[in-house]
Amino acid sequence: MVRFHELNPAVIALWFFTVTGTAMFCSYPVICFLTLTAGVLLFLVRNGRNHLRTHLFFLILYVILTLANPLVSHNGKTVLFVMNDNPVTLEALLYGLNSATMLTGVLYMFRSFTQIMTSEKLLYITSLLSPKISLVLSMAVRYVPLFNRQGQKVSDTQKAMGLYADDNIIDDITGRMRIFSSVSTWALENGIVTADSMAARGFGTGRRTSLKRFSFTLTDTAFLIITVILASTVIVAAAQGSLEFDFYPEMSGIHPDHTGKAGLAAFLLLVLMPVFKETEALIKWKYSESKI
Amino acid sequence: MEIFRVEDLNFTYPECSSKAVHDVSFKIGKGEFIVLCGSTGSGKSTLLRLLKPEISPNGEMTGNILFHGAPLSDCSGRRSASSIGFVMQSPEQQIVTDKVWHELAFGLENLGVPASEIARRTAETAGFFGIGIWYGKNTADLSGGQKQLLNLASVLVMSPEIIILDEPTAQLDPIAASEFITALKRLNEELSLTVLIAEHRLEDTYPLCDRIMVMDEGKLIFNGEPRKIFTEIKGDSPVLRGLPAAARVYGLTGGKDDCPLTVREGRNYIEKTFKKDITALPAPAHEAAEKETALEFKNVRFRYSRNGDDVLKDLSFKVNTGEIFCILGGNGCGKTTSLKLAADLASPYSGVIKVFGKKLKEYRNRSLYRECLALLPQDVQTVFLCDSVREELEKCGADTASLPFDISGLLDRHPYDLSGGEQQAAALARILAAKPKLLLMDEPTKGLDADWKSKMKDILDRLKNQGVTVVIVTHDIEFAAECADRCAMFFDGKIVSEGTPEEFFPANSFYTTAVSRMTREMYKNIVTVSEAVEICSLNGRKDDAHDSH
Repeated sequence: MVRFHELNPAVIALWFFTVTGTAMFCSYPVICFLTLTAGVLLFLVRNGRNHLRTHLFFLILYVILTLANPLVSHNGKTVLFVMNDNPVTLEALLYGLNSATMLTGVLYMFRSFTQIMTSEKLLYITSLLSPKISLVLSMAVRYVPLFNRQGQKVSDTQKAMGLYADDNIIDDITGRMRIFSSVSTWALENGIVTADSMAARGFGTGRRTSLKRFSFTLTDTAFLIITVILASTVIVAAAQGSLEFDFYPEMSGIHPDHTGKAGLAAFLLLVLMPVFKETEALIKWKYSESKI
Repeated sequence: MEIFRVEDLNFTYPECSSKAVHDVSFKIGKGEFIVLCGSTGSGKSTLLRLLKPEISPNGEMTGNILFHGAPLSDCSGRRSASSIGFVMQSPEQQIVTDKVWHELAFGLENLGVPASEIARRTAETAGFFGIGIWYGKNTADLSGGQKQLLNLASVLVMSPEIIILDEPTAQLDPIAASEFITALKRLNEELSLTVLIAEHRLEDTYPLCDRIMVMDEGKLIFNGEPRKIFTEIKGDSPVLRGLPAAARVYGLTGGKDDCPLTVREGRNYIEKTFKKDITALPAPAHEAAEKETALEFKNVRFRYSRNGDDVLKDLSFKVNTGEIFCILGGNGCGKTTSLKLAADLASPYSGVIKVFGKKLKEYRNRSLYRECLALLPQDVQTVFLCDSVREELEKCGADTASLPFDISGLLDRHPYDLSGGEQQAAALARILAAKPKLLLMDEPTKGLDADWKSKMKDILDRLKNQGVTVVIVTHDIEFAAECADRCAMFFDGKIVSEGTPEEFFPANSFYTTAVSRMTREMYKNIVTVSEAVEICSLNGRKDDAHDSH
């Protein structure tokens, strides 16, 4: 009953990058449409009816992106009407619709990605690549809130000492700059303690290992293998040119060959995998709850 | 089994004429719990750091440090990193990573221990310390006490043979401090871990330790059982100001044998030794004159966010001009918040705050901070913006000559290089440049040794004589008892009781000084060590006629 976001971060990241990558590099209309549909579905499955403003924002973006293209691009055979002596064509409109679908779909995917990938998971992925970079990032992640908090404290103290003598902007800005420089000194000075603490615990004595908080389970392996098989089918289809689509001067490639169809079917399954996973978990929970 | 043997150790810092450590020799055996004490600058930290090669200071060293019989310098980096644990003072700055679990794993990761082994050992350690609940948390979200416990745990996870601690509780409040010491005692008793701890607040550690080492000006002046301390050091020596109250009373009343350490033992000592003819000290004459109000809170309510809980709940109190008013209370009860409100750094959503009879709103254009009110924050490092104390003071036009204390020795140093007490003094000098009539202080004794505490008390007395009103927020009951004119107890967002120290402390049974708890059945209204010594000598010893010793 593992839900999608509980999978190993590396598996999740791989899935997101293949899906968004395919959508961006092969902007075949069906693929763009599937990405958007699956992106919206995944977001809805995870968040329910909340985040209305997000949906509204994406809707407006979608409309603007769609309409922007026919206004600037005048390619295409089928003229719909003429505006300011410029022809507005059906092809340009459809091209705009397609890119808008692709972009909104990818943005929806990234919305879910940022929700799922907490800083800890991202650090896990970097630690797979390099334990050293991961440590530096981890220290940086820790320092940002620390720095802010100290800045607020210094600001309070200095205010009560009359640093901002008058209520004017110039005074405020110079005051803030002095606080920033003071907090920087503070960070450097106190960094010595951190360095000592690291040395005292054997930093730099040899090769580092790193503790992984996420294990690789059977579910992860299965998910990974399916992702790889489906993704390679799509990529092969795209590489062979079966998923090419031209809008200008007129639309071509509406009817793909067998490889193309196979690729599209694979992408359909690939893009819906997280939604399947979430629904499966949901149904299983319902079932096991009813037994309790 | 011997872990450390130090022979004739001398150490001099570069460009320093005097030795920081002078002819020191001692041994540390397996499973010992040793406390190293001495005032700031006595060479404690230097000595401790010399025992940990990774962070040893640079300088000229003579003499031998043997670790398990072999010179410490021959010990491999990996061995010394894991076998000698070291915990420093600052809870915040010692933490390296962003997550609690990662911090625990950090040391083992450095040593290249396999991941499965790391997982087992971090889990074990987290279980022992009861930090399993916050295993997945961000380190930035922990309280000071939790942070220090995490620092201890993340050293312990490397299974050291000895753990060295350099004033680990100086930045903690008393409750967190005694929890930390309890954890250490448990490690010592249940795992027979060897502990060497430098401390200047000895109330908690002194009764627990097997051996005490006292340093003064780089020399080891005492090394032996805690109870025997007065056999070699005179009772009124300033080195001993940090001892538990029972021991200090014993020393100051001229005891020379096994000294009492706990409240119970102290009580028994006084009861057995002294007569009970005079039960109270002559009360000091209180002038009953009606005084002006310097600071007034009236039905103040405050919360940090709209959906949060009230931090201050209908808080009302008055502070008279020219008095020292101490607000005592536990963590998170709203003490610091009330100071913030008084300094107009945040505003209450209902109620009135008046400073010298004027509402805060009426102090326009920040005139509140000019010759009226000043706030000394808890973290005094936030006061300094310049690279030297002199620059800092010149910039604000401070007159060092008119200060009630001497900081001429600190002027050319960087504020961050000063010791805790010196920083406090320099910050106070900076704050007093605005010539405040009302001084607010947040935990002025945090991280100070006993010597600096008594200096701080003198400073406050002198300020009071200059007519400055002082409001202090503190955890430090003993300090409040010594310097306050009036004390108030803060609990759950409001003040629940207040009075002069002579009224306030004897009325409390838990939240009161050790001396008050020791003497309450015999004498009336005795709160501080000096009062206890005075009443004991007034009464005289029971066996004065035939002193057997």
